[in-house]
Amino acid sequence: MKTPLIGAIFLTASAMLVAQTAAPAPEATAKPIPRTVDGHPDLTGTWQAGGVSINGEPGAPPLHPLAPTKYRPPARQPIPYQDWAKTKQKTFTVLDDPTSKCLLPGVPRIVGMPMPMEIVQTPKEVVILYESFRAYRRIPINDKLEHPDDLTPTWMGDSVGRWEGDTFVVDVTGFNDKTWLAGLGSIHTEKLHVIERYHLNDDDTISYTANVEDPGSLTKPWVTGVVLRRPVDVRVEEYECIENNPDNEHIRKAMELKQSNKQ
Amino acid sequence: MKSKVMLMLMGALGVLTTAPAWGHHSFAAEYDSTQMITLKGTISKVEWTNPHIYVYLDVKDANGKVTTWALEGYPPNTLKRTGFSRELLKVGDEITATAYKSKDGSNTGAGREFTFPDGSKKFAGPVGN
Repeated sequence: MKTPLIGAIFLTASAMLVAQTAAPAPEATAKPIPRTVDGHPDLTGTWQAGGVSINGEPGAPPLHPLAPTKYRPPARQPIPYQDWAKTKQKTFTVLDDPTSKCLLPGVPRIVGMPMPMEIVQTPKEVVILYESFRAYRRIPINDKLEHPDDLTPTWMGDSVGRWEGDTFVVDVTGFNDKTWLAGLGSIHTEKLHVIERYHLNDDDTISYTANVEDPGSLTKPWVTGVVLRRPVDVRVEEYECIENNPDNEHIRKAMELKQSNKQ
Repeated sequence: MKSKVMLMLMGALGVLTTAPAWGHHSFAAEYDSTQMITLKGTISKVEWTNPHIYVYLDVKDANGKVTTWALEGYPPNTLKRTGFSRELLKVGDEITATAYKSKDGSNTGAGREFTFPDGSKKFAGPVGN
């Protein structure tokens, strides 16, 4: 079923391709990756997964075209839902999307939002500041990936990380069951457990993957990911989502109008 | 045909998020991508706000009756990063805007391309889907 949300994915996606063909940029050249004094890849800086400001759109190439990258995200796959979750998924409308009410998107959904995020890397902790929904994550580095034992469920969960070779691995748990994973009604339970991998590539991109486990709603782990780019001349700025957000009122009226036209 | 190929290619590339084009809500549930309208009017109000901007246009019909249209656009930070600054929208200026009509029957639209008094053009919001 093609939902409006899926349609929106395709929209951006096709816009990205148009941008890639319409606004050719010089080939990226491989170079040694930057490293911190303790030898780990240096992820510090501003990154972005997509959106018109870096991909452009039909008729409007981005102000600062980015060089094509050879790195690709994992192939798209449907979320492997258990039967009850598949049934429940069909009961939702776009009005139920938590982000449409300016609520936090959770992990991994926030990573793919079309706004920049800033990674601040220190030897003991990595902090990610997201423009979208003014979210932030503190990721203490802990080689045993041990979480605090007093967690109560939250929107963004609890993150701990460690270096596995040149890959920064983040273990996220302690989620509530209110966020969506990706797409209309993509629910999960509080048993959600996400393992993220951030790998700095030789062309100034990060390959990001998320292994999503939820024995409460999935039949097997679901893998998703993006390639993060460094937007040019961009810094994380304020995004006060709740300021002026009448879209759901319009959508509700449109749904009612459609329903009354049917009767 | 071309767009179909692009959709297929995109499927292969894989995208993580749900609705990156419009950020945080569904475009298609709110606006009709098959109903693009063109409005020529005077800017009466600008809301340079999150999660989306709104530009209010006073549009006069042949009989002189004025109707105010509210046009939604990208988030302010996105516009800034595409070269569309807040200063481009001046109350009192006459502009021409294309927009996708709202499905709720109100005089609301998803702004697409704005033509400013000097003839320059900028995209205020996404192509319909």
